[in-house]
Amino acid sequence: MDSHKPEGIRLLGRVLPWLLIVVLAIAAPYALPSFRLNLLGRFLSLGVVALGVDLIWGFTGLLSLGQGIFFALGGYGAAMHLQLTCATCSRSAGGIPEFFGLYGVKQLPFFWWPFHSPWFTLVAIWFIPGLVAGLLGYLVFRNRIRGVYFSILTQAALLVFYNFFNGQQKLINGTNGLKTDVTRLFGQMVGSDIMQRNFFWLTVLCVVVAWWICRNLVRGRFGDALVAIRDDEARLRFTGFNPTALKTIVFAVAGALAGVGGALYTVQSGIVSPQFMSVPFSIEMVIWVAVGGRATLLGAIFGALGINYAKSLVSEALPYLWLFIQGGLFIVVVTALPDGLVGWWKKGGVPRLLARFRGAPRLATYPALELEGPDKPRITLKGDQQ
Amino acid sequence: MHGNAPIDGSAPLLELDGVSVDFDGFLALDDLSLCLASGELRAVIGPNGAGKTTFLDVITGKLLPSSGDVRFKGRSLLGQQEHHIARLGVGRKFQSPRVFENLSLRQNLTLAASVKTPLALLFGSLGRSERDRVEHLLGVIDLADRPHLLAGELSHGQKQWLEIAMLVAQDPDLLLVDEPVAGLTDGETERTADLLRELAGDHTVLVIDHDMEFIRRLDAPVTVLHEGHVLCEGTMDQVQCDPAVTEVYLGRADETP
Repeated sequence: MDSHKPEGIRLLGRVLPWLLIVVLAIAAPYALPSFRLNLLGRFLSLGVVALGVDLIWGFTGLLSLGQGIFFALGGYGAAMHLQLTCATCSRSAGGIPEFFGLYGVKQLPFFWWPFHSPWFTLVAIWFIPGLVAGLLGYLVFRNRIRGVYFSILTQAALLVFYNFFNGQQKLINGTNGLKTDVTRLFGQMVGSDIMQRNFFWLTVLCVVVAWWICRNLVRGRFGDALVAIRDDEARLRFTGFNPTALKTIVFAVAGALAGVGGALYTVQSGIVSPQFMSVPFSIEMVIWVAVGGRATLLGAIFGALGINYAKSLVSEALPYLWLFIQGGLFIVVVTALPDGLVGWWKKGGVPRLLARFRGAPRLATYPALELEGPDKPRITLKGDQQ
Repeated sequence: MHGNAPIDGSAPLLELDGVSVDFDGFLALDDLSLCLASGELRAVIGPNGAGKTTFLDVITGKLLPSSGDVRFKGRSLLGQQEHHIARLGVGRKFQSPRVFENLSLRQNLTLAASVKTPLALLFGSLGRSERDRVEHLLGVIDLADRPHLLAGELSHGQKQWLEIAMLVAQDPDLLLVDEPVAGLTDGETERTADLLRELAGDHTVLVIDHDMEFIRRLDAPVTVLHEGHVLCEGTMDQVQCDPAVTEVYLGRADETP
């Protein structure tokens, strides 16, 4: 494998993917029409969300159907700041966002105030979703609510948030959501091509950083403990670990990632609305990870990108067809590719598929003997081999 | 009442004092009292339903007894969470082997050996002695040449041994071993008995089983449980001659050829 290759090729193998990412990221805004670039940027921000879903579901086995909550919280944070900068620079409606005028609100609600500060906003878009996730997670995990009950609970929480945001016109414009594309940042329209290009690059950077954080979380003993929770949580308890603490941490991290993804998605789609917390959307997040490959970080990113691209292409051509395709994909993954596409690739799916066409090599004896050779000691307990 | 006994050589490591567990009127443990000295190897036997596993559940914090007290190093364990009890130095091996199947052998052992707080897992590194312990244990279970094998790929017997090794990696003062030889071959059973005998001394070991040959080979004092309380204690020979034991346990075994 890798160890047989000369040093130079191995180095190239490590540097080349990064080089490719940098080149593609720089070239994309010049190669793609602005509509396509915008889509790519939005889907990449969904990739950040998918990384979080992978962390809690793929590695730790917590199937959350409520990631939309944290996604929306991040989006609202970013949108509130943009609405405020817009209101202050225009001075049209007494320094508060225009929509308040529709409901006769004269005073800015108190929780809007801190969002005047760009620095507060930059922290809030990941800290608030992370905190909410941490609190929610702690209460649920402390009471040892697991499995399908956890999933139902997260979905219920999602509906609570959805209904609350939908109903609060006077606080956050209710169903209509908050628009961001006609707001200004650094003197530029947020919806302008230049700003969109910058947001695209920011998104690429965020995906890389999020991937790096997740990778460091899952590769060491912390990640082993997460997998151990998925395998046998009770056993881990008796080994001296506190699964509640581990699960709370990882759920908070996933919430924070969803928040960052939501903020990036909002500035690139031009609006945040309670629809971000619709039940199907949170379920789709799980499908991205399932198709891309659970417990593979790249799988989560590619899953989010691939499915959403397919969705937009299919919907452009045959709008009614997409839901069938999505359902079909899910069935294929559950029945034929339980590890998802990247998992299938990693476990040698491609050679196996090719071998199927060529005809598999015939093994005359027990496969393990053929593969390892008869001289190699078989695994045995102490003393079994005289 | 004894109060909190001082921790010295003479004080028992584990004390169960009149423990009862009531499952809706069924007494799984009935006023059970038992003492384990430091460094002792003890075998606990009893027919099915005698309360052997319930007894371990009470010690490790999985079950709260309806009455009585459990003291470990002079401290009451009642109401403590499972992971606190484990960190105090109580390790448990389960009846059917439970290992982390999607982790490699080395990862399984390393997790058991490491400091268990999230921060230590993230930012700390494994100490020299822990690393040596893991490598040594890989050798003990004869899998030193395949540390990257997933635990799920092991045979039943190897899983039993891996779980015992994980228990040792945890370095507890008290090892509670529930049916370590279920499903093992005769050779493996003998070696398991030898391994547990070696562990006693440095550790206090309590073994639950009903394989008589295995218990005999342990060469340890035997406690017989019956219907949730201690029927008698003694050496294997004494216990086997006890008419009460013969009646509830061995007698029954004799009837079926």
